[in-house]
Amino acid sequence: MDIDDLLQELDDNKVLGGTRDINDLTQSWIAERTAPEILPFQTALLERLMERIRQQIELVETQTGNLDPKTNFCLILLQTELERVKFLVRGYLRARIHKIDKYSIYILTTPSIRGRLSPPELSYLKSHLGLLNSHFLASFLRRFPEQLRRLDDKAGGISMVEEPDLDGAVFCKVVRDIEDNIARIPGTDSEFKLTKGDVYVVRYSAVREFVLRGEIELI
Amino acid sequence: MYGDLGLKLVQHAKRTQSLPQLPPYQSDIVRSVTREVRDLDRDVTEILEPFNGHFDPAEEPATACSLLVHHLCMRRNKRCLLAYHRVRVEAIEEMCWSGSDLLEQVQASQNKVAEGGAGIGSAEGSGASSLSPEEEEYARQYGDLLAAYKGQWTDIDLTGSLEPPRDLFIDVRVLKDAGEIQTEYGAITLTKNSQFFVRQGDVERLIAQGFLQKLN
Amino acid sequence: MNNNNHSASGPLTPAEVAFLCEAQSVTIIPRQRLDGLDLIGGYIPPFHPPQRTTIPLWLALLLKRQRRCNIVPPPWLSAPNIERILKTETENQNLFCPDLPYRWLETAELLLEGCPDDLGGDDGELRVLLRGLREVRQGKVREGLGKLEATYLQMNNLGLLEITEVRGFAKGVVDGLRKIGASTGVGLVLGWMMMISRWGWCFISMVFWTG
Repeated sequence: MDIDDLLQELDDNKVLGGTRDINDLTQSWIAERTAPEILPFQTALLERLMERIRQQIELVETQTGNLDPKTNFCLILLQTELERVKFLVRGYLRARIHKIDKYSIYILTTPSIRGRLSPPELSYLKSHLGLLNSHFLASFLRRFPEQLRRLDDKAGGISMVEEPDLDGAVFCKVVRDIEDNIARIPGTDSEFKLTKGDVYVVRYSAVREFVLRGEIELI
Repeated sequence: MYGDLGLKLVQHAKRTQSLPQLPPYQSDIVRSVTREVRDLDRDVTEILEPFNGHFDPAEEPATACSLLVHHLCMRRNKRCLLAYHRVRVEAIEEMCWSGSDLLEQVQASQNKVAEGGAGIGSAEGSGASSLSPEEEEYARQYGDLLAAYKGQWTDIDLTGSLEPPRDLFIDVRVLKDAGEIQTEYGAITLTKNSQFFVRQGDVERLIAQGFLQKLN
Repeated sequence: MNNNNHSASGPLTPAEVAFLCEAQSVTIIPRQRLDGLDLIGGYIPPFHPPQRTTIPLWLALLLKRQRRCNIVPPPWLSAPNIERILKTETENQNLFCPDLPYRWLETAELLLEGCPDDLGGDDGELRVLLRGLREVRQGKVREGLGKLEATYLQMNNLGLLEITEVRGFAKGVVDGLRKIGASTGVGLVLGWMMMISRWGWCFISMVFWTG
């Protein structure tokens, strides 16, 4: 193989990789916005993108002050894209924090879900819960009888812990050919076939496994 | 009646959700609802006392029923208190995220208390903080926690706008001579009738002041 | 004050749908040279006017505003074509035409706003036709959804912005039925609605659920 071909191929990979990463980030953001539960943190994807963002910021910073109009205009384009990518990352992380805040006790006490958080997210969650606990304690719980002070109290059949509604309706699109392509709606006899390209409104629980495997995208 | 005050708290919580600003903390109601829980708990202890730890609900259905009602009332009050505090905490966190002048508010109220002496600086007073002392403490601590988490993502400004970016750069025409301004690209001199393609954030104030006009 | 008025959570807003739409590719005719651009989302090769090239829509709209390029509208976005689709949609009350891309509505809106002069003549006529098309399709969706209670709905051939617009309503149908079902605990497949022909016509198939 010719060295130039090889280099060209590597270049192509890099270019396509960038496009793919942005597409994946976009999809992760949409999924995180629309799924009732928190999804696995995209560690490798975020690492690659944050590195690229850092490089672009550096490039813009070193070129700033260059008054050549051509360079100047290119910098405007780079910055415009940079803001778009930053918005996506921000939206992704904020959508996650929103769920982490809302379902904190549930996430912390469900090992399979807790593992979906990045280490900084998990430490944020724990500290946040700690703060809430002391705040409620200081505001009123400390004057409560001992046995009523817990926050994760489930006695009497009414849980004080908020859990995601996995049966909530979601909008989704089948993006791959699926081998075992029958979706069943839990608790009913209802089932339907998933064909690539189909768009459905359906309970999240019926498509959850397909979503986690990337066969169905939430929209 | 038991439960009335709890309901009042929930109504306050509901109203809080639709208000642009956090209303004063209802310390009196919170205290009363908490007291109600303690009273109910004392009643339970008294009801159970004659049984010496050998209470059988099947033998004493009326007593069992009364115990259940007490228990439900206590739990209901707890839920009301939690709901009320939770809604307020969410509003406080929201202010931390949006970077509003929460801490200034807190500071102002502290100064006021320092000047005016203790006792009258209640939450109802005008200009005073609408936060309880515990909430002020919470705001400070959550602010620190947020800053720590944000610090892991400095390049993307986690508390930045959640509106999709649009028209980051705009064309402007200079309406009045405005001298030299500093932008990310160094200085530009704004001479009347000249046109520039500039970062919107750099010139928003100049547009508002009438020095520049945004072009379509 | 609460979390409802910013969009950290919940379904996408129309502004966000437009933002996503700007990420798709569009063909342009550059009017000026431009050096290659190493964007995070991929490399943009240098422009050699008037050679056509394909770039992200957000970039095309920015260059257009700067009068540095013209945008080549996608082939489906022409008055005669939209008129044809509108006619089919009007004549077939139970069907959605599949000849429109997933992001047709938002793409059309962005291009009408950003480069009306590139859309081949009378953009006023195109606007009227598009508005008509949107209303006809929206009416069908609402009517279809209003008639039924379903455990799932298929919505093939609807655009993303169209879905965004009926989202609350459709979610209410599926969520609402589940609550009725939850209280009785009986689910049963009953049948279909809005039939389909095999010529690629879209359908909304429904499985009813008795309570």
